[in-house]
Amino acid sequence: MVGAGIAVVTLRNIIHSAVAMMICFGSLAGMYALLGAPIVAAAQVLIYLGAISVLILFAIMLTQAGDANLPASFHPQGPIAAVVALAIIGLTGWAAIQADWGVMPQAAGAAVEAIATGLFTTYAFPFEIISFLILVAIIGAIYLARRPEEDERAN
Amino acid sequence: MGLTGYLIVSVMLFGIGAFGFMARRNAILMLISIELMFNAVNLSLVAFNAFLPADANAGAVFALMIMAVAAAEVTVGLALVIAIIRTRQTAEVDQYSDLKE
Amino acid sequence: MPIELLIALIPALPVVGFLFAVLVGPRFDHMPSHGHHDGNEDDSHANAAHGDDDHDAHAVDDSAYRTVPSEEEQRATSPHAGHADDLANAEGADGVIPADMSDGLGQAGHVAPGAELPRYRSWIVPTGLVGLMWVFSMIVFASVVFGGNEYEVRIYEWIASGDFTIEVSFLVDSLTAMLLLVVSTVGFLVHIYSIGYMDGDRGFWRFFAYLNLFMFSMLLLILGDNFLMLYVGWEAVGLCSYALIGFWYKKPSAAGAAKKAFVVNRVGDFGFGLGIMMLWVNLGTLSFREVFATIGSLDETTITVIALLLFAGAVGKSAQFPLHVWLPDAMEGPTPVSALIHAATMVNAGVYLVARANPIFAEAPVAMWTVAIIGVFTAIFAAAIALTQNDIKKVLAYSTVSQLAYMFFALGIGAWVAAIFHLVSHGFFKGLLFMGSGSVIHGAGGEQDMRYMGNLRAKMRWTYVTMVIGSLALAGIPIFSGFFSKDEILAEAFNRGYLVFYLVGTIVAFMTAFYTFRMIFMTFWGEWRGTKAAWDHIHESAPTMVAPLAILAVPTILAGLLLGIPPEGGIIHGWLEEVFHVAEEAHAGVLPGSIADGEHHGFELFGLGGLLLLIGAAVAVGGVLLAYRWYVQRPESAARFVDRIPLGLGPGMYRASVNKYYVDDLYGLVWARGGVLLSTALWWFDAKVIDGAVNGAGWLASMIGGGLRKIQTGRVENYGLGIAAGLVLVLVVLATVVR
Repeated sequence: MVGAGIAVVTLRNIIHSAVAMMICFGSLAGMYALLGAPIVAAAQVLIYLGAISVLILFAIMLTQAGDANLPASFHPQGPIAAVVALAIIGLTGWAAIQADWGVMPQAAGAAVEAIATGLFTTYAFPFEIISFLILVAIIGAIYLARRPEEDERAN
Repeated sequence: MGLTGYLIVSVMLFGIGAFGFMARRNAILMLISIELMFNAVNLSLVAFNAFLPADANAGAVFALMIMAVAAAEVTVGLALVIAIIRTRQTAEVDQYSDLKE
Repeated sequence: MPIELLIALIPALPVVGFLFAVLVGPRFDHMPSHGHHDGNEDDSHANAAHGDDDHDAHAVDDSAYRTVPSEEEQRATSPHAGHADDLANAEGADGVIPADMSDGLGQAGHVAPGAELPRYRSWIVPTGLVGLMWVFSMIVFASVVFGGNEYEVRIYEWIASGDFTIEVSFLVDSLTAMLLLVVSTVGFLVHIYSIGYMDGDRGFWRFFAYLNLFMFSMLLLILGDNFLMLYVGWEAVGLCSYALIGFWYKKPSAAGAAKKAFVVNRVGDFGFGLGIMMLWVNLGTLSFREVFATIGSLDETTITVIALLLFAGAVGKSAQFPLHVWLPDAMEGPTPVSALIHAATMVNAGVYLVARANPIFAEAPVAMWTVAIIGVFTAIFAAAIALTQNDIKKVLAYSTVSQLAYMFFALGIGAWVAAIFHLVSHGFFKGLLFMGSGSVIHGAGGEQDMRYMGNLRAKMRWTYVTMVIGSLALAGIPIFSGFFSKDEILAEAFNRGYLVFYLVGTIVAFMTAFYTFRMIFMTFWGEWRGTKAAWDHIHESAPTMVAPLAILAVPTILAGLLLGIPPEGGIIHGWLEEVFHVAEEAHAGVLPGSIADGEHHGFELFGLGGLLLLIGAAVAVGGVLLAYRWYVQRPESAARFVDRIPLGLGPGMYRASVNKYYVDDLYGLVWARGGVLLSTALWWFDAKVIDGAVNGAGWLASMIGGGLRKIQTGRVENYGLGIAAGLVLVLVVLATVVR
């Protein structure tokens, strides 16, 4: 999975990157299943593998228009970025190792029913907010993606 | 593989995502990198949910919510990218410097 | 009517008078609306001044008046005319102080025949109220002094802030009563005198407003029962003094003298204020009674510092060396002001302060020494200047400084009662002398220089007689008040064992007698040395001016006889004993430097006391006789004496004395010039360093901004990198510092 992640950011061909991303997301879904969170795994598959990946692929298709090979796809600040990213990984990883997490029972898992109860009782308000956010995002996306009216008339 | 293992994977994924965001020039790839970072956070949340005594499955619930937000974000983001590409005829972000002082 | 109510009314009446004079005073001074320009040779000049008045072109006025030598002449230079007067009246009638204060010139008077007579009636209410105040004061005085009462009248709580409480309340004991006697009597007489003296001045109502305000402030000063009220009155009399010295404010010298008085007083008042603060910090109270009850609990150093700070205020207000320079210049003010403020009342405030604070000074021998030494030095210093002054008012001014120094000298050696005795008698006879000199100036058409006077007794009989009485008192000729009070101080100095002080005091007494009669002989005797035209003009002053002189002559003759007999044990001792007994007991001859054995010798007419009296009288008579010989019999001998001083020092000493021992020039050099230099240095510092720092800060900000501007690339990935780098930084800090 990590390899797939590395592939995402390093491959020159953006199509390849997208495919690597899908691999990465898929393995994450497996990991969720391992952690006893089947509902999250299912959502991962549905949303990321299903929806977002397709969306991104469509976007690539729309924009790259066949010429998918891009030269010098790395930014000049790449080395600095690598150092900074490594520093982040190192520091947070070190913190994760150092931290005393207390009792460590084996993965307890999250029952679907429990998640549903939590989602619609304790976290009902954030849930509604997110619903509204998605509505806004849809409207915004439609507005942005729409061609300008002049273009439509011209077409 | 205990909690620490999952967390390290999560951290690495996050770092990779961060690197991708900073180092790649393609706007769509930057969005993909952001997705990677989202997923890294999701992973850590689900792992915490599984290993630590959580209240009402907060980790899993938040992972789901983040997915929803990420979906919304990627929708808008891609719409923006497409709009920009359409006007600027390029996906290279280092060409987008109109906000430069 | 209860005495308490009277006491509360005493300072209230002048306030009413002040308000009256300010609000409706202008309405009572009517001036005819048509100018009459005939009959004055100085016509064009005056017209120019008037024309300029209307257009606020004061610069022209000032330059015109720079050449005018004296107050009276100014008043005489212009015909009584002017549109500006009407303007002032019109505005004044609306209850507004005229914006165009064209009355500041001190001119007018001398209306041409046939003209509508101006009338000045704004004196009625202020003077009437002060007269009423005088009646009340005398009732209170009698009750306190003869009835042996003491009054405390609480008006209201003024400041209540935490445990800082100041009440407006009046304390009347015998010390206050003595001051009340002088202040209200001289104050009332000066009001009457001013009716005549200020007649024809456009600022008539303004003058009475200031006078009433001054009376109020002075009464507050002497009646207040705590240091803060004393301080308020102290500053208020300073303000009134400023306003009245600069009464003819368009005259540059008057305005300058007013400023000088104010600034020099500030130096002393600063110390006074610090002293009050120290009292508060150390004792937590400012009330006289409480302070004096608890002052002994402090250590001697603190008391000494407090006493010296209070004395600094006294030095400024009473014009002692080195802050004496303002008083002679203050003679630029109208003569009634000189008589009231700068001779009889305000300058006594310093003496009053030290006397009032006697328990504090009694605990601080060093401070007592300072008071005594400054007193003795100022006494001889000012007397030596007075010997050679030619301006009649300057002679009296230096005489005042010298006599006040006598009082301080008496306070310093612990002769409290003698000091207050001298204060009272001096208040009367110096007020008389000043008013007399004002009468002379008035009658002589504004001439102040005694070299151009002479033989005035032929034309001004009343003024002559009263002034001679005042001079006899000042010179210390027996039976006049000054004799008793001055010789009491000298006898105390002798009895307490301060032989050096006694000798210096006796020399000063001789000098005093000499310069006083030098003034009398130069003014009233000999030949008229002025112009013929001026001689014809000379006339006796108006009854309102002569009457106060005659009235004041009575206490001048009698005060000593009534209060001072027998010497060193007169009735005034009984009155004031209550106030000073603590301090008197604290050190009867225990000051270091005293050669007395500590026993107090009673007065014996045919013993030591009688001998001292005889010496005092002989010295005074000797001074008078020397003056007579030098200035009447053989007018050239004074100059010969100067030449005969060995080593050729004579002319130099004479010049030094005439030039007031160059103290003014020294101050001018040190403070004025030094101040300019310091200001220039500070200006440079401000322009280069402060402004440089300010501009540098601006430049730095713009440079930093210019540098930071390049960071804003408009590229998202740069920002992202920045965010990530910041995150790393935070993590590093967390990992290293926080853990």
